[in-house]
Amino acid sequence: MNPSVSPDVSNAGETRTLPVVFSGKKGEYLKLWLVNMLLSILTLGIYSAWAKVRNTQYLYGHTQVEGHRLQYLATPLQILRGRIIAVILFGLYVLLSSMHPVANLVLMLLLLAAMPWLLIQGLRFSLRMTAYRNVRFSFNANYGGVLLHFILLPILGALTFGLAMPWVIQRLQKYVHESISFGGHNFSLNSSAGYYYKAVFACIGLAILYFIALAILGSGVFAALAAENPAAIGGMIIIMISYFMFGYVIAAVYQSMIRNHVMNNLSIDGVVSFNSSVVAMPYVWLMLSNALLLIFTLGLAYPVTQIRKNKFLADATLVNLQPAADHLVNTVSDQDSAFGEEAAGLFDADLSLT
Amino acid sequence: MATDSSPIAGTFQLAGRAEAHPASARINDNGSVQIIAANDQRPLHYSNAQDMQYGDIIPGLPAELIFADGARFIPNDASFRWPGLSGAKRLPAWLETHWVAVLAAVILVPGFVWLMVHKVIPSAASASVQYLPDFVAVELGSQTMDLLDRFYMEPTQVSDEQQEKITADWHAILQRLELPEDKFRLYFRASSIGANAFALPDGSVILTDGIVELMQDHPEQLNAVLLHEIGHVEHKHSLKTLAQATATTMMFAMMFGDIDGAGELILGAGTSLLQSAFSRDMEREADAYAYTQLHKIGHSPVDFANAMRALMKSHGASDEQLQGNGSGEDNGKELLEYLSSHPDTLERIKAAEEWQPDTK
Repeated sequence: MNPSVSPDVSNAGETRTLPVVFSGKKGEYLKLWLVNMLLSILTLGIYSAWAKVRNTQYLYGHTQVEGHRLQYLATPLQILRGRIIAVILFGLYVLLSSMHPVANLVLMLLLLAAMPWLLIQGLRFSLRMTAYRNVRFSFNANYGGVLLHFILLPILGALTFGLAMPWVIQRLQKYVHESISFGGHNFSLNSSAGYYYKAVFACIGLAILYFIALAILGSGVFAALAAENPAAIGGMIIIMISYFMFGYVIAAVYQSMIRNHVMNNLSIDGVVSFNSSVVAMPYVWLMLSNALLLIFTLGLAYPVTQIRKNKFLADATLVNLQPAADHLVNTVSDQDSAFGEEAAGLFDADLSLT
Repeated sequence: MATDSSPIAGTFQLAGRAEAHPASARINDNGSVQIIAANDQRPLHYSNAQDMQYGDIIPGLPAELIFADGARFIPNDASFRWPGLSGAKRLPAWLETHWVAVLAAVILVPGFVWLMVHKVIPSAASASVQYLPDFVAVELGSQTMDLLDRFYMEPTQVSDEQQEKITADWHAILQRLELPEDKFRLYFRASSIGANAFALPDGSVILTDGIVELMQDHPEQLNAVLLHEIGHVEHKHSLKTLAQATATTMMFAMMFGDIDGAGELILGAGTSLLQSAFSRDMEREADAYAYTQLHKIGHSPVDFANAMRALMKSHGASDEQLQGNGSGEDNGKELLEYLSSHPDTLERIKAAEEWQPDTK
């Protein structure tokens, strides 16, 4: 169906700028997702390990650059093992903490102390199981670094009443991205805190405009309401809808600005760099329509929203491959446990990069 | 299926290196595979049938051939399937591309969940609590008591002599029913929850000042209520609830752990509905226990019916509501809170009045 691009290494020697091609189809993925969810339920969750692998393989496999597909290399048994350990620990946690208030407190402190470790394990596993052209990604963060960037700096940010928050988020994203390596080469992210402030100010500006409009519209509606004009109901509904939409507008503006900034400044020296050109308004529409889809299908349209988002983001992304990219060598072994990732997910410590 | 002779165009991806070559794969008669470079016909790789495996078949994606060293051959044609592929490898992708499978499972799943939550888990929980050592109940009881004393209850205002009178009365009943007196101890506490009594898993029974006052002229009603509470303890209801809740939570966590979007909301609502259904069943079980024991000591379940009426009234029910034809408008909210986890009280009153010893 989709034209398969035949890779050619003969043009090595110069930088190639390539589109990210996402070929996943809504109906196809919806069916795959539904069948896997239902099989997971019917097997009391045992199949969910296979489901996870197949879902991820679909999304990765349909993402290609220069005809090469992203690979997801985790095996279901790896994930199942991690999941079983995590479920047992979670069960013990629930049981013990409901039995004794002191045990509850001790367990909570233990969990808090383990949180950075769980975060590292989770990210490490998913990156090591991701490969492009048989070369795996890796994640090399350490406990102290994660503690600093994920817990201490955000506390500091909160203490400054949020004034330092854009800077904190810039530090955090820089730390996470620079902990990723590919074929033994570390990524570097030359992002600037100033740009994060710019994004926040853009959002604040939008918010001010919105609230001015709301005040004008609102006073009109209240006047109509006082005059017992039936049109006031319509006005109220419009205000409520606009308020619902406004959240998505702000989020989409912020996310598109930050994504472009991060991707445009992310690179492996001499190997790869990226261009991202997400335009805020279409992205607003994507997020808003995805939210509506989820609401009106009670969440069942989730796979459709994922395809739409992946396609949208792929279309807005270019990859610049430099000659060295064709000669990378994998440095990551595949001995890794999925426990960290599963435990992190169960204890709600999952995090996403952008 | 491809014929064995025609070469399959694709990409040869080296093991552990970014290097890749356009190539074609030739399957020999014995199942071995030879990879040949597309540009200069150079042989790139050769593998016996047993030294390679097939990648997963994912809808819309080519079926990869993975060699022992980790090198891969990826066909250009996404719909190409290797002749050696087993049915088991093809099955998931077959299911995933057919709506029939989706629809069949859509019907199967709710039935399956209902069966688990409604039948399998409750009976498993009932069976397993019998094996729980006693100290679990004792520990749970004393923890709960601590918690209640700290946050919800005040020292009682009931006079010592009245406490002694009720306790002596209670001990006499326990003796006649041959129940251990030291297990079912009474505790008196003041509390803002009004007239109420409840039992902890270890057998401790707490009476609020409200219920003592409400039933001070009707000790037989108080005893009926106490027997109902003992019914909970004897049937290990709190342990069963705990086991069920834990098992249900675990099951949902396992079943739906990987499902994003599909709405914990729906699941949460369903679970709490089921929980209150469990607790209604348990109330009925405890009621039945009270009727039988009342009958044994020569009393009538009508005592229990009267106690329920008195309790309803003290929680704000009107006379009309007590007759069963109230509009439910006045004081409805407070009453609703009290009744939420209990079966319809009028129904229980009726059941108590109609109870016959030979029916159980």
